[in-house]
Amino acid sequence: MEAILRATGLKFLDILRFPPIAIEKGGVTFVCGKSGAGKSTLFKLFNLTLSPTEGTVFYDGADIAEMDPVALRREVLLMGQNVYLFDDTIRGNFEKYFEYRGEPCIGGDGMQSWLTVCGLEQPLTAQCQTLSGGERQRVFLAIHLAMRPRVLLLDEPTSALDKKTAAQVLERLIARCKEKGITLVIISHDPALAHAFAENTIALTEGACE
Amino acid sequence: MNRIVQLNLWQFALIYLLLLIVITVLRVCKIDQTKNLLWASARMTLQLTLAGLILTYIFQNPHPAFVAVYLAGMIAFAIFRVFKINKGLNRRFRWIIGASVAFSGLVVLMYFVTLVVGENPGNPQYVIPIAGMLMGNTMTGVSLGVKTFYQSLRDQSVRIETLQNMGVKPDRLFMPFVRQAIETAILPTINTMVGIGIVSLPGMMTGQILSGTLPMTAILYQIAIMIAICTTVCLATFGSLYFGYRTLYNKRGQMEIEAK
Repeated sequence: MEAILRATGLKFLDILRFPPIAIEKGGVTFVCGKSGAGKSTLFKLFNLTLSPTEGTVFYDGADIAEMDPVALRREVLLMGQNVYLFDDTIRGNFEKYFEYRGEPCIGGDGMQSWLTVCGLEQPLTAQCQTLSGGERQRVFLAIHLAMRPRVLLLDEPTSALDKKTAAQVLERLIARCKEKGITLVIISHDPALAHAFAENTIALTEGACE
Repeated sequence: MNRIVQLNLWQFALIYLLLLIVITVLRVCKIDQTKNLLWASARMTLQLTLAGLILTYIFQNPHPAFVAVYLAGMIAFAIFRVFKINKGLNRRFRWIIGASVAFSGLVVLMYFVTLVVGENPGNPQYVIPIAGMLMGNTMTGVSLGVKTFYQSLRDQSVRIETLQNMGVKPDRLFMPFVRQAIETAILPTINTMVGIGIVSLPGMMTGQILSGTLPMTAILYQIAIMIAICTTVCLATFGSLYFGYRTLYNKRGQMEIEAK
């Protein structure tokens, strides 16, 4: 297995200790475990928004502590579990996020295409304030996908969706990411989703890993 | 112009009776601020009496060293008040605020006294009252600006986390918050400028007119001081936040936002 992300001897404060972890390049890895097991913390250690107390994370063989954090976060993109959208249209949100990154925004067709992957049939002119929680989560996901990272870390990306829609979204999402060569790492509380889609699974227990 | 009527101390004491009206309103509305009101009034009386005595001495024995010490005290107090209102600021942020308040206040004060008025910068009659007005407003403006800045950072923590995760550079991430806080800090001054002369006759002008200055002279001073206040507040808040926000993340772009 070719690993794109690798972690050895990771420890965060005195609370969490992780076993050696390897994320397969181009694969779909699910991270499972109870609340407090350190799933979200692991993601933050992967994108360097937190630094480990001990241990090292390697991205493409390089120690991430030595890398430019902004460049790293653009390649190892983390979608947090809390959705944040600006009070604007769907198009406006795509534009704002790209503008914040100082990058030219993708066109309307591209936006629509990513929204379709996420199973959302809404016009780009729809105001995000009027969308349901599930719809907002899918707009948020589509924006992250549109940024074309190399690794996409998704922290409970379908928590606001019903089981059937969640499965449909993940199926399309995985197919598109495979096509584009994007590595997916997904935190999910739903064992059925992990069972259906995981190529690899990392099971964390509180304070340690199984 | 007539000379100002000297206040007889017994007559002056009558002004404190007005506080009974405030206390009555507080009691009727069950607002628990009576103690604070009395404490604030007593403190004000004491502070101003002391200031009066010190100023009398300095005016009778004018020396640039006295002016410098008085200015240093004013600036230190203004900075201290900003810290008191904004607890939990990191050490570097506090230094930056202190330097911004002191630098902005002194630069505008010297510009005002030496170039606009054309007086000696060691003249206590001009330097001390003008510095008082500048520093008082700067203290309020910077406190408000820093407080607004932190309040918005707290309210928008999900936005900040999202932008950080998306690989947005810290300067792009923080600048909208800096802009908003500067706007909040200078808005009261701009509003006062709009209403001045119609809604209010400000303290400095009132004081000058009461002491016999011609209204047109008082007005020129008032216009000058309003612009000077606006500049100082803007410059001090800008310096505090523009350089201060850089202390809120480390070289790995990790946030260290902690103020309460």
